[in-house]
Amino acid sequence: MIRYIIRRLLISIPILLIGSFLAYLMVASAGNPLAEYRAQPNVTEEMVRSLEISLGLDKPVIERYWIWLTDFLSGDWGESIALGQASVEVFDSVMRSLWITFRLVIGAELLAILLGVSVGVLAAVKQYSIFDYFATSAAFLMFSMPVFCVAVILKTYGIEFNNVLNSMGMERWLSTVSPATTGYEGGFIDVLYQYTGQYTLPTITLALISFAAYSRFQRASMLETLHSDYVRTAKAKGLSQRRVILRHAFRNAMIPVTTLFSINFAIVFTGAIVTETVFGWRGMGFLLVSSVRQFDPNMLMGWLMVTATMVIIFNLVADIMYGVLDPRIRLA
Amino acid sequence: MLLTANQPGPPIGTASEFDASKARKQSTLIRQRFFRHKLAVTSLIVFLLIVAFGMIGPLFWGISVDDSSGGRFEPPSAEHPLGTNQIGKDMLAQLMRGTRLSVQIALTVAVLATLVGVTLGALAGYLRGFVDTAISRVIDLMLIIPAIAVAGILVKAFSGSWYVVALVLASFGWMSIARITRGETLSLSQREFIEAASASGATTRWVIFRHLVPNMVGSITVNATLAIALAVLSEAALSFIGLGVQIPDTSLGLIISENYAQITTRPWLFWGPFVVIVALSLCVNFIGDGLRDAFDPRQTKVRA
Amino acid sequence: MSIKKSTLSAFAAVVGTSLVLSACGGSNGDGGNGSTDGTTDIKSMATAKGQSGDEYTSPDVEQGTQEIKVSTDNPFTAYNNAAADANNSYNSFALTMVLSGAYKLDGNDNVLLNKDVMESVELTNKDPQVVTWNIKPGVTWSDGEAWDCDDFHLAWLSQTGKVKEGDADIFTAAGTTGYDVLEKLECPTPTQVVTTFSETFPDYKSLFGISLDILPAHILEQETGIADITKLTPTSDIAELKKVADFWKTKWNGFDAKLMPSSAQYKITAFEQNNSVTLERNEKFAGKPGGPAKIVLRGIADQVAQAQALENGELVVNSMAQPDANAAERLRNLSAQGVTFGATAGLTFEHFDLNVENKWLKDQAVRKAFMQCVNRDELVEKLVRPVLEDAQPKGSLIFFQGEDGYTDNYAQYTGDANAAKATLEGAGYTIGPDGFATKNGEKVSLKIAHTDIPRRKQTVELVQSHCKPAGIEIIDDTDPNFLDTRVSQGDYDIALFAWSSAPFKSGQKSIYSTGGGQNWSNWSNKEVDAALADATTNLDEAAATAAYAKADAILAEENYSLPLFPLPRMWAFKGVDKVFFQSYYGTLWNANEWVVS
Repeated sequence: MIRYIIRRLLISIPILLIGSFLAYLMVASAGNPLAEYRAQPNVTEEMVRSLEISLGLDKPVIERYWIWLTDFLSGDWGESIALGQASVEVFDSVMRSLWITFRLVIGAELLAILLGVSVGVLAAVKQYSIFDYFATSAAFLMFSMPVFCVAVILKTYGIEFNNVLNSMGMERWLSTVSPATTGYEGGFIDVLYQYTGQYTLPTITLALISFAAYSRFQRASMLETLHSDYVRTAKAKGLSQRRVILRHAFRNAMIPVTTLFSINFAIVFTGAIVTETVFGWRGMGFLLVSSVRQFDPNMLMGWLMVTATMVIIFNLVADIMYGVLDPRIRLA
Repeated sequence: MLLTANQPGPPIGTASEFDASKARKQSTLIRQRFFRHKLAVTSLIVFLLIVAFGMIGPLFWGISVDDSSGGRFEPPSAEHPLGTNQIGKDMLAQLMRGTRLSVQIALTVAVLATLVGVTLGALAGYLRGFVDTAISRVIDLMLIIPAIAVAGILVKAFSGSWYVVALVLASFGWMSIARITRGETLSLSQREFIEAASASGATTRWVIFRHLVPNMVGSITVNATLAIALAVLSEAALSFIGLGVQIPDTSLGLIISENYAQITTRPWLFWGPFVVIVALSLCVNFIGDGLRDAFDPRQTKVRA
Repeated sequence: MSIKKSTLSAFAAVVGTSLVLSACGGSNGDGGNGSTDGTTDIKSMATAKGQSGDEYTSPDVEQGTQEIKVSTDNPFTAYNNAAADANNSYNSFALTMVLSGAYKLDGNDNVLLNKDVMESVELTNKDPQVVTWNIKPGVTWSDGEAWDCDDFHLAWLSQTGKVKEGDADIFTAAGTTGYDVLEKLECPTPTQVVTTFSETFPDYKSLFGISLDILPAHILEQETGIADITKLTPTSDIAELKKVADFWKTKWNGFDAKLMPSSAQYKITAFEQNNSVTLERNEKFAGKPGGPAKIVLRGIADQVAQAQALENGELVVNSMAQPDANAAERLRNLSAQGVTFGATAGLTFEHFDLNVENKWLKDQAVRKAFMQCVNRDELVEKLVRPVLEDAQPKGSLIFFQGEDGYTDNYAQYTGDANAAKATLEGAGYTIGPDGFATKNGEKVSLKIAHTDIPRRKQTVELVQSHCKPAGIEIIDDTDPNFLDTRVSQGDYDIALFAWSSAPFKSGQKSIYSTGGGQNWSNWSNKEVDAALADATTNLDEAAATAAYAKADAILAEENYSLPLFPLPRMWAFKGVDKVFFQSYYGTLWNANEWVVS
């Protein structure tokens, strides 16, 4: 097992290297971050040149990548070279954004798994019931809506909801933009009120999308196990329906969902980018889009290293969990 | 229509496995099963109507998509049933063009991603060894490169035309299809008819396209369908963050992102394209579901 | 969706940097461009409570106890906004209340002497030009150290552009105008600064403060171990200078309370990168304190999201340098809830530069025909009026509407395709069967090059439809890297971009005179050269204005460049008595006068 993990991680290193090289090359050769500087009044070519030298932009792209790589390997993630970004530290920016996105995603995923799995199991057990049809339609609808539309609709009606609360003499609850620095005030209830208000809308947006995938997946896999021989045997032995479902079917039906959690990661992340944009959170999505738009390869590299590592780890975890939950699968 | 490729391979003596008449019966069966699925059939009809709206609609609609002579943000009227946008273009004409380009993008993505995914997946599963390792590593690599970064760069470098967006989405859409195909190929390759084919000296290409692909046509079709739905939504998301289709081209995603702020003030500008995009991807998802039922894996398992 | 507009994009009109003040002072209004919701007089809010004549003194205003939240497009990034890699207008939006200078601007861009910290500024000699700056005694930074001559010295040293290693300026200042002709700076007493210029520089009021460039020299001395910064000149030991440059460029980024004291009404007390900066009243401020106790300034990229947050009560002030029609409309509709919306023309304007080296455009008839066919009023109607209802096309390259010296030199260009066609035919062009003008069998076809901002694409789309009936084919040449190398090499037929210039006029010289640094299509006209040379060195305000106006008129006659419209800026607020979006400093420029209800 440990050898397996080590081997998988070792294989990932060259992939990370190639991936970072390609991404760096693309962003660095796509455009010059200082282009807009020229259109400012009284800026001479000489000034543009000085700034290029100061930011290291006068060197060839390959050399810049090499400098980045050696610095990175020695623990220095470098600084942003986007105009107006004041040479911001990449490591700080990435970690800060990651934390913002993490807070957003984790709640949404937990909610989605919890809801998705229970709805999926129920829909499978009561196949072709009204509940099943309802759950199926809801899931298909969620599947088919662009994330940002969900976000926009929720936000618009969230404000209306607040107006209703206000008219009933209560404080406005739902927040439409990310929290600012100034923490929370008041007692526990007040803090809870403010905290949930800030997270509710973006969390629901993200959760709805994942919920659809989880419930469909859980339903399909539950149906399959319910029709399998061992469940039939268990039923034939005279075990109670409840026991059959919980002890025998449910456990095995969970296997595909655990892998989905890891694979779903990428989808959730894309969803997070859009959700962050609508709700004005400056998380990983914002960082990615802005580093691409401002031709900032250094910032992109920091982003890439973190997310790529997560992709690799999640894939590995998925495979390991698969093995743990289903002894028939051997890791080699 | 779906199994026409499933002809017996002339140089190989596996005709009994792939009896032509039996295969045709198989395809008839699948077609029958699909058409019994009411929801899927309805969806197919709606899907075709939406496609017709985008492709043929402009022929019957008098106002050109490039005509900016209208006033800004005119409300719906007989002349402009969906009003006009900020620079005075007719929204209905925009919506038709957007629908057409979104459908074009989605279909292109599905075709390209399926072609690449199936070919590479089958190669990896059939040849194994070095080829398998190489392809698997390429998949790993593609999974860590952010599609948005590539999209942003290509769209900036080569304009935001619909085909650029389609190419970007296709180049990041084939990996899951390749993985599924690889898995199926691995198990199919154990079967006698494949072993017989390769033993009798059939080329790799022959084995893959004459033997493997026809046997995986079910999962390939279903995955291709789902790729369409995914592409519609991915295009919308890309256009929303400004890294997708760019004006003067347009797409459903771009139209919605230009007008989402009007959701309360001029609801028609938001809900019009919203309904089309949801209907489009909903239909494709239902069609995919119908196809999956038609190609019921249990049935194929019995046969394979 | 703002995120798709490049964050720096057209509003590269970065404050501070190369700001050059016109000697003729500010304009007297935005040319009737103040937009109101009908009940509140937005225009009057451009005048600060504490200004009288050419001077500003912080007035007596109730010291509020509230904490208020203000938003703008992008977050604060750096304390030193004079460094080129940090420089962006959004830093000034916070720093305007943190760093004092000799002069400041009101909402109409009038130049006001900052009497909170200055006694006087005198032009003591004309040839060579000598200016003496007298600082009010006892003015300190919020850490208690004196705000005096050594801070002025650092501002000069860092921005002369003459501290070089090899060819490169080691400070990489965002702008050097004015400081580059400031030959000598002396400190006879700590509160007196005497500056001697090598060339006449009428815009001297733009130096030392307007661009928020007076930074705490004592902190730099402590941190770098340099005993006395005033002993260093551009020709001093390069090793010492590099220590200074290094600190100046890199250590005043982001926020560190120890390194970044305040010399104005507010001090920075908290900073969350990429999100917000918190300002609190500075008890050590030399002038009268006032305004809300605490201001949180945050960056929200999407204008509609800003508007919705204001609607939802999460903010009290929005300020958007990037105009957005959707957000403007939303905010206007909120007037019933007590939200006041304002928009005025900014100091950045879109224009078409016609490359006179192009084979068609070297013929003035084609240039004229192009200008005749473009319907600028329709462009304004569809692209600007959704934000600024009474916007008008701009009729001058050098002046803004409402400024002294403004005349509409382009009034004849109203989008008349027939007139354009007649012009072409009069010059020997024939209209071919496809409707396009030809000469010697070749079709007149022009490419409009621009960066990929949606507004510019829409502009080109509209111009295509305007000029087609005139027989001129217009091709869209979108290139995200257009401003990188192509524009400076003159690689375009027609360039569409924005200049951020006035009311500071001397920058015009590099754009319109022969051999100028930003004259990319090698335009040359001796009369314009002479007029601009006169204007930029004339200490007599009226004469300078006349010279600029003369250059402006000749440029129009020659059909070199077609101004389109100034980009509007917009803002909205609720529960504050008087908020105006100052073109360089954002909404907080007079936050010390705000009374929050």
